[in-house]
Amino acid sequence: MTSTNTSTALANRGVPAEIDGPANPLRVVWRAIATIWSVPKARIGVVLLGAFIALAVFAPLIAPYSATDNSFGRSEDMSAAHWLGTTAAGQDVLSQIIWGARVSVFVGFAAGIFATLIAVLVGLSWGYIRTVAGDVINFVVNLFLVIPALPLMIVIAAYLQNGGIGMIILVVVITGWASGARVLRSQTQSLRSRDFVTAAVFSGESPGRVVFREILPNMTSLIVTNFFAAATAAILAEAGLEFLGLGDTTIVSWGTMLFWAQNSNALLTGQWIVLFAPGLCISLLATSLSLINFGVDGLSNPRLREGASR
Amino acid sequence: MRFVLNKVGLLALTLWAAITLNFLLPRLMPGSPADAALAKLAQNGPVSPATKAAVEAQLGVPTGSMWEQYLSYLGSVARFDFGVSYTFFPQSVAGLVTAALPWTIILVGLVTIIAFIFGTLLGVLAAWKRGTWLDTLPTVGGTFASAFPYFWTALLLVFFLGYVGGWFPTSGAFSRSATPEFSLAFVGDALYHAILPATTILITSLGGWILGMRSTMINTLGEDYVTFAEANGLRPRTVALRYAARNAILPNLTSFGLALGAVVGGSLLVERVFAYPGVGYLLYTAVTNQDYPLMQALFLIITISVLLANFIVDILYGILDPRTRR
Amino acid sequence: MSLMSVRDLSVVYASKGAERVYAVKDVSFDLQPGEFVGLVGESGSGKSTLGFALTRLSKPPAMIGGGSILFDGVDIAEMDPKAVRVQRQGGFAMVLQSGMNALNPVRSIRNHFFDIFEAHGHVAKRDREARAQELAGKVELPGSVLDRFPGELSGGMRQRVSIALALSLEPRLMVFDEPTTALDVLVQHAVMDTIRELQKSMGFTAVLISHDLGIVLEVTERVMVMHEGQIVEDASSADILNAPQHEYTRMLLSHYGDPRAEVVEVPGLASRGSLRASVVEPVEPVEPVETIELAPTPAPTHAPARTREGRAAHQAIVVSGVSKLYPRPSRADQPVLAVDDVSFTLEPGASMALVGASGSGKSTIAKMITGIEHPTSGTITFGDLQIDKVKRRGLKSLHREVQMVFQDPYAALNPLHTVEYTLTRPVVNYSGLRGRDARRRVLELLETVGLTPVEQFAARLPHQLSGGQRQRVVIARALASDPQVIIADEPVSMLDVSLRAGLLALLEGLRETWGVSMLYITHDLLSARLVTDQIMVLNKGAVVESGNTASVLQNPQHDYTVRLLDAIPNPGRRTPGGSA
Repeated sequence: MTSTNTSTALANRGVPAEIDGPANPLRVVWRAIATIWSVPKARIGVVLLGAFIALAVFAPLIAPYSATDNSFGRSEDMSAAHWLGTTAAGQDVLSQIIWGARVSVFVGFAAGIFATLIAVLVGLSWGYIRTVAGDVINFVVNLFLVIPALPLMIVIAAYLQNGGIGMIILVVVITGWASGARVLRSQTQSLRSRDFVTAAVFSGESPGRVVFREILPNMTSLIVTNFFAAATAAILAEAGLEFLGLGDTTIVSWGTMLFWAQNSNALLTGQWIVLFAPGLCISLLATSLSLINFGVDGLSNPRLREGASR
Repeated sequence: MRFVLNKVGLLALTLWAAITLNFLLPRLMPGSPADAALAKLAQNGPVSPATKAAVEAQLGVPTGSMWEQYLSYLGSVARFDFGVSYTFFPQSVAGLVTAALPWTIILVGLVTIIAFIFGTLLGVLAAWKRGTWLDTLPTVGGTFASAFPYFWTALLLVFFLGYVGGWFPTSGAFSRSATPEFSLAFVGDALYHAILPATTILITSLGGWILGMRSTMINTLGEDYVTFAEANGLRPRTVALRYAARNAILPNLTSFGLALGAVVGGSLLVERVFAYPGVGYLLYTAVTNQDYPLMQALFLIITISVLLANFIVDILYGILDPRTRR
Repeated sequence: MSLMSVRDLSVVYASKGAERVYAVKDVSFDLQPGEFVGLVGESGSGKSTLGFALTRLSKPPAMIGGGSILFDGVDIAEMDPKAVRVQRQGGFAMVLQSGMNALNPVRSIRNHFFDIFEAHGHVAKRDREARAQELAGKVELPGSVLDRFPGELSGGMRQRVSIALALSLEPRLMVFDEPTTALDVLVQHAVMDTIRELQKSMGFTAVLISHDLGIVLEVTERVMVMHEGQIVEDASSADILNAPQHEYTRMLLSHYGDPRAEVVEVPGLASRGSLRASVVEPVEPVEPVETIELAPTPAPTHAPARTREGRAAHQAIVVSGVSKLYPRPSRADQPVLAVDDVSFTLEPGASMALVGASGSGKSTIAKMITGIEHPTSGTITFGDLQIDKVKRRGLKSLHREVQMVFQDPYAALNPLHTVEYTLTRPVVNYSGLRGRDARRRVLELLETVGLTPVEQFAARLPHQLSGGQRQRVVIARALASDPQVIIADEPVSMLDVSLRAGLLALLEGLRETWGVSMLYITHDLLSARLVTDQIMVLNKGAVVESGNTASVLQNPQHDYTVRLLDAIPNPGRRTPGGSA
């Protein structure tokens, strides 16, 4: 009837004739990856992210030296022995970059997972309940949204002095869950008013089952998007806090590398690679996550769960 | 009018919540920030009772009920009395904050508005010319640039354009020889110093505006009112601007308000790199010296500024969207 | 000379990575000046796609794949977009289906007019206000409407504004794409009257695109019937009505009837006086449903209320003095009295219609009967159960007995669950069957609603089903708990006309054999006549008329019922002005 109806009708013509039973979960996961892979931008992101994860996991095998070994010459230029030169403290820059990937990847994923978890829990329950409590949560979430995150992180980190990675993950999660919760809440609200959710209630389903089996699976792509966005923010925030010297400055990470580079006046000594390399890695890691996000739109598409392969 | 009143009420409530959060923060933290601060102050000489009271009101003392502490805290906030900084002893915290605030507000405020307008226009263009190089270039560039950490962009600019090129000053907001005054020479000098920090914020925040506007614009281009406008033979420019972009900008305005906090946060790091005498650099100094009274006051003032900016954006939204006027 | 001459026109959908689909295939026809032509087809027939192509509004992935469109002797199919834009003034205009969203929400109605005047410069600056006022008057709107924003207008008013805007181009050809479909029944009728009068007085050529052959036959002189991208019949309205040539046209026509007639028949359903009959068994899952020879065995007015094992039977739903007051949406508005002191009893095994236009409160009554919402005052009981006070725990025992068939088959099924999962849940929750027994029960249900081969359908996901098939799944789900009452909320209004009767016949047949009572909520009096024995007419939350369906419809007492009856499109009843 409408032009949209026309196109759905057109799509419906392609009803597959053969269907070979319900899909198994492994196949669903595989097809999810294939879905992301099918978007060129996301493909670049997957390759980049894969490279960084490999770097982090196999750091002991890949890195030419220990990251904390400061027995080399100070502020050396690039050479065969030290491809990216050495730091002002006499450490190998390349090894530091490789080991540093561990912190960024770990913080990104850990903070991303926790922030997303809170966002999902708050978003779902907040979207599903229709009481005064909803208004209170609304206010709290909005408060967390408008309060500038980095200054809040800085203040908390300043009180918790040198708390290390755990502290950084904590402050990133505290400040990072709200935007996801808001998005997921509005999606929950729109889904809960759909007929199929009411129908599930008519089918005698418990509230928990309605939320987790009917509503949640329809938000897969939003949740994944939220995870990648939270992880990106976490990686950037972690680097920022460490750059200010608010983390544990003795660990080797891209953020602390920049902190030491700035403090040892790498700018004046012309050690541009010490500034350039860690920042580029942070940007590339963050970019890879943003790029993958271009491909997650298809994840809530039921076609992923089709029994027959295309 | 009701809309504005609602927003004013919400602002008041949010302000109260932010002020209360500022009160709770040091008290929830392990150790006694107040004792630490007072001990540090004492190194500079005897602490006057008034200063002691102000510091205690801000950071909390083990004695006295929470409620009494809260009341005296609210009192000191109302009087704009945050005690004395020991980093910059004997200057008052309020005085330091007042001196730093204009630099940040002018730098961040102006650049953010420019970035928003410029990014929005590029986003409109990208969506309208979807699939062409006018789309691809800003989209890919924006994605990449928005992943740059603010401080890294700043470091690169300082290094290449400041130290290596020598074209721009590498630190400060004005030359050491200059004294702040309203003269053409001083304003020119300040602008010259602001170019690199401003460019940093522009580069890093632009991408977000482009991408956001592009995606909402693509959505509105699919709306029936755009098709109908085309069916009525309106000029393409009218359709793009008055019909599609005019509607697409509304959701973006909301995200503008929310993203403001992130830009302010990023600019703190930028100020650190350029030793720019705004609240960000001051906050950095306070944090490294564990100057808690100064730190708390700065956090409060930054939060309030962002809340006020959000309020202005909300009102602007109300003006732009007739649906809120009902 | 004809105003528009279309030759071998094709429109293809060419999206990346998908096959090219022909939505319109080699279509040829002519439009004479001043003609009013109908373009009829069901969803997916390509009629809207064709309408967009005629006015050069096709957007990717749709594009003109061949053929020519001569407008006033010039081929506009290949014309440069700039030239097309200029052509629109004094050329061709389009009124979109969703008048709701066709107006820019942040621009006043006046500015909508002025934008058009400015774009074409055909109205002098000082005359613009007067011209806009005049156009508003033409569509029977007050001049003050110009100061308003789209959000402040009702759906019908917005569609009138759209028509006035299209008229402001002074077009020689107007294409109306389902101009009244999204509107309320009574408003539909009024807007259609306006269109008809405008066409007569202004003399433009008009194309009315609609899925509803009834509406089209009522107002147009000539009808083109579209099916699967092709025009299968092109004849005068009188010929289409009296001597349809194509089998598809005949099938469409067979689904119309006058609910006031003594004998009403559509394929699969019939009503003679107060006797009704339905043909249940041979319902094919293949669509469209074939015309079935009717064997009019009179059905009992009440299905035998069946006693369900271990459960109390013969229970009526008793609604007494029920009102529902919704709090005012915003401070400026009044509280809404959605339901106003309604009382009725739905006896076991009975079939009752609840009819009214949108906003009459009929869906609110459904929500209250199913315990989804509670009445502000009054009581609703089902046996011992106080539905008006039911809490979450009681809700499950209520839903075992009172089930619901939803309106929109695309929204009522979770897109991520297979048919088997969707049906297994109520079976498990209500019958306690597990594993293989539950599965057997699910397959039985699929068989009952005619979705065979059952194993294949059980494994499907909703997007692999057509609208009619989905609605069968929805009916199967409602039956899974073996309920005593089914609330059917406009169960066929989203389906194509040709599918409606088949589904209603299925529903009605199952109701009789399973001994279920049904509350049939609809705005469509024809279907009410065919599947119910009792009727209640609802206006603004209050019952204005009730009684035996056939007698109420044949002898309506209340003015509102008469208006509803008059609003029904009826191919057999051509208004005198229709064929000028």
